[in-house]
Amino acid sequence: MMRRSHMRAVGVVAGLCLLAAFSCGKKSGSRSTSVHLWQFWDIAVVAPIIAEFEKQNPGLHVEVEQLTWATGLEKIQAALASGTQPDVCELGSTWLPRFSYEGVLEDLTAVYEAERDSFLMWDSALYKDRVYGLPWVQGSRVLFINRELFKKAGLDPDRPPQTWDELLQASQKIGALGNGVYGFGQNIGEKYVLYKKFMAFAWGNGGDVFDERGNVVVNSPAMLEALEFYLKLAPFSLQEKQEVLDQYFKTGKLGMQISGAWNVKNYALEAPNLDYSCALVPKPAADRGEHVSFAGAEMLVVFKGSQQKEAAVKLARFLQAYPQAKAVSLAAGSVFPAAREAMNDPAFTRDPRIKVFVEQSLTSRTPPAHPGWNEMEEAIDHAVEEAMYGRRAPRWCLDDAAKEITTIAARFNQK
Amino acid sequence: MMRYLRWIVLLVAIVLMAYPLGWMIAVSLRTSDGLNLRYYADVWNSGPFDRYFINSLAVAAVVVLGNIVFCTMAGYAFARYRIRGGKLLFFLVLSTIMLPKQVILVPLYIEMQRLGLIDSYWALTLPFLVDPFNIFLIRQYLLGIPTDCEEAARIDGAGELFILFRVVFPMLTPVLAVVAIHTTLTNWNSFLFPFILTNSTSMRTLPVGLALLAQGAYSIDWGHLMAGAVLSALPVVVAFLIFQRRIIGGLTTGMTR
Amino acid sequence: MSRRRRVSPVVWLLLPWALVYGAFFVFPFLFSFVLGFLHYNPLNVANTTFVGAGNVTRLFGDAAFHSALRNTLFFVIGTVPVTTTLALALAWLLHAPLPMKDAFKAAMFLPSILSVVVIALLFKLFYAPGGALNETLRALGLQTHGWLTDPATALPAIMAMDIWAAVGYYALVLYAAFTSIPESLYEAATLEGAGHWATFRHVTLPMLKPALGFVLVINTIRSFQVFVEVLVMTQGGPLGSTNTLVMMLYDTAFRRLDYGYSSVIAYAVFILSGVFSVFALRRMRSQTPVQQRGMPA
Repeated sequence: MMRRSHMRAVGVVAGLCLLAAFSCGKKSGSRSTSVHLWQFWDIAVVAPIIAEFEKQNPGLHVEVEQLTWATGLEKIQAALASGTQPDVCELGSTWLPRFSYEGVLEDLTAVYEAERDSFLMWDSALYKDRVYGLPWVQGSRVLFINRELFKKAGLDPDRPPQTWDELLQASQKIGALGNGVYGFGQNIGEKYVLYKKFMAFAWGNGGDVFDERGNVVVNSPAMLEALEFYLKLAPFSLQEKQEVLDQYFKTGKLGMQISGAWNVKNYALEAPNLDYSCALVPKPAADRGEHVSFAGAEMLVVFKGSQQKEAAVKLARFLQAYPQAKAVSLAAGSVFPAAREAMNDPAFTRDPRIKVFVEQSLTSRTPPAHPGWNEMEEAIDHAVEEAMYGRRAPRWCLDDAAKEITTIAARFNQK
Repeated sequence: MMRYLRWIVLLVAIVLMAYPLGWMIAVSLRTSDGLNLRYYADVWNSGPFDRYFINSLAVAAVVVLGNIVFCTMAGYAFARYRIRGGKLLFFLVLSTIMLPKQVILVPLYIEMQRLGLIDSYWALTLPFLVDPFNIFLIRQYLLGIPTDCEEAARIDGAGELFILFRVVFPMLTPVLAVVAIHTTLTNWNSFLFPFILTNSTSMRTLPVGLALLAQGAYSIDWGHLMAGAVLSALPVVVAFLIFQRRIIGGLTTGMTR
Repeated sequence: MSRRRRVSPVVWLLLPWALVYGAFFVFPFLFSFVLGFLHYNPLNVANTTFVGAGNVTRLFGDAAFHSALRNTLFFVIGTVPVTTTLALALAWLLHAPLPMKDAFKAAMFLPSILSVVVIALLFKLFYAPGGALNETLRALGLQTHGWLTDPATALPAIMAMDIWAAVGYYALVLYAAFTSIPESLYEAATLEGAGHWATFRHVTLPMLKPALGFVLVINTIRSFQVFVEVLVMTQGGPLGSTNTLVMMLYDTAFRRLDYGYSSVIAYAVFILSGVFSVFALRRMRSQTPVQQRGMPA
């Protein structure tokens, strides 16, 4: 009896001592004079930009930290929970609405009003008529085509498919080449990707998740049409995870796929002899619809608890500005500035492939700026996957998604 | 006959085990300009990998040492002493493993932040000094060893401290080798907690450095990824080769009778 | 034997553990336990509300949770017995004079050296069309398959990988236990004319019970928490066929920002692991008389 309680006492006392230490909690680092920036790019890329900022603003010191795509969000959450969040932070466009909704972001509407026309991709930062983020860099998805396979299938690589029908025909012809060659690449079996490819078709057809009045229209006729077309591609498609699709394309066994600019960089390194080009995402028909694609935008936010608000906003605007966004984009090689200036900059328009990306950004969209988006995208993923596996008719899949999304949206209506 | 059969079955098993690794090394060496170590050089030069290495090494050394000493103490207590409420206490020990650690990620961060330990070597070592896994392992192992030696020593008038470190410790060599290897591994490859609990580049351990690399310049480049993985695994292989002799040593120690 | 009135050795033996536990785990465990009764969102701590047993009752009606539970149970039942049996077999095979034994031990251990992430990435490629497995099947004239993209084969594929990755390690643990079985026991058995199998059943196995108990319990606890592999390879897909309890818990906390619900799922895992561990430990309690001649503490 003595021993057990003796020991328990020690453990408990140790724990209590530390609990007591909480009340005199220290804050780590000298936060009072530095501006803290958390972002996802290599420090080597960002360091010169930071140095320039410090030069232009003597007296201001910036502490940068790099987050990983995989676990950065956890870190941000942990920081917010303990009150140690940074001043400026990079957030993805799919996450921003949730943060706006929770009221943890500084209102940047003044910046928006000054800079509105110079930048694309503001949508995800808009919440209840206020703006909470600054578009920094972005990346659209475009159609990659393998020119050699096109030639082999008797197609003209300089005339990539412009419409759904042309896309279907091209997939058929390339798929018919046999020998382990596929016409088109469709994502399946992983999260965060599928809906991006599908929504490109859906948006191009005039469909969307919500209409202007906020009603859920994910099961509208336009959406159903898009899903049915997407399924038509299936017999000629390789249905696999992104890496496998990239691998197949790289080794010349995949005719076409919708993917992002990171592949331009990768193919240059790993498959320098690959003969491919890029094209806008096909639209439904020559006389209707648009060449719409999905874009992921990286936004800069300022957290409300910041002790350095003025300096933080200054830093955010500095990073967003074209010269800096350009530097980051060129160094990263997989994104482009959200600034409109990029559209005419030879640095981005010189290479015909890159030019397509830039052109596509003009008609690209980020997902609806709804705080519950992360759950909704799963509902869409699930619906498309179910249809692809032939578990249920596309119509019921979309109806289910509509129900699910309505339920999710209802949870966020209290605020 | 039996001997040959054993040998063949083992050989098959070993080939199955080793094949994916051989392939991994092959991928890391197959650069676009022939077989060479270019990817390794790239990975090493892409960041302060020497600092990451030293961090990982220092942290692993401290944690392994701590575990070997402290877990033996605890395992010995649970195996040899009848403790009142011992079952409950042991369950408490095990409970640390039974709860998925993701759920204590944020609470631990909050606590470490309040203690001012974020971004320090303390955060990387202190919480991991006594792994319940090892306590469990040592206890089970001790339960299978007769107490004769200890009783003999006790009768001769030896103190508890002496018995533990001079009599029991040497008997534990095989399992301590496993403890050392296991702890080195878990710690060396640990990513989530070191990442969450540290901020600055100078505090990064190897897995964190590699993860950041993997998403940067060489994101889906298998060659570089595998080179990084091999580099990361190398020290542990060395550690294993060193410690595994102890297992053989255990064979020849024999038991007293 | 003189017995001075002094602090029992047990106290200072368990002190280091108690300190670390008390300092670093009591608070997080309490915190996470309390979280289960709350609606907590790290972005909005001020708005935390008390929901009592709300999170728990939610579990009962949640189809996703039931699916994750089924998948996890399938995973545990499908891997633990196989891994343990194979590990035992390997350990027994090793425990004999053999040429190149060190090489065998080293090779067997190699899979465990790699981090789970690396193994998962390796196997992702292994299972892919054009990957080693499908290419071998093709060479043999057999049908290839989308192992990770077919809801029916995705989970078994991950299970096979898990067994591959774990066997060598547990074999070494059991091997360490093998080496501690006194030769004298074997000699006695031979003297009594016992054959291989009888020796194994009546000498080896009972002496291995504690070690086996360890392997079973640890393997089970770990299997209940299978997560990283799923995260890297399938993220719970396709169609939720590889959604496990911890994968769901992770998603619930860090993607849906519902820490309270995530906590109750964690404790569900905890209870499941606990029940099984107690059960296994009881079964594997060594019954040989050399046992715990417990010193009064």
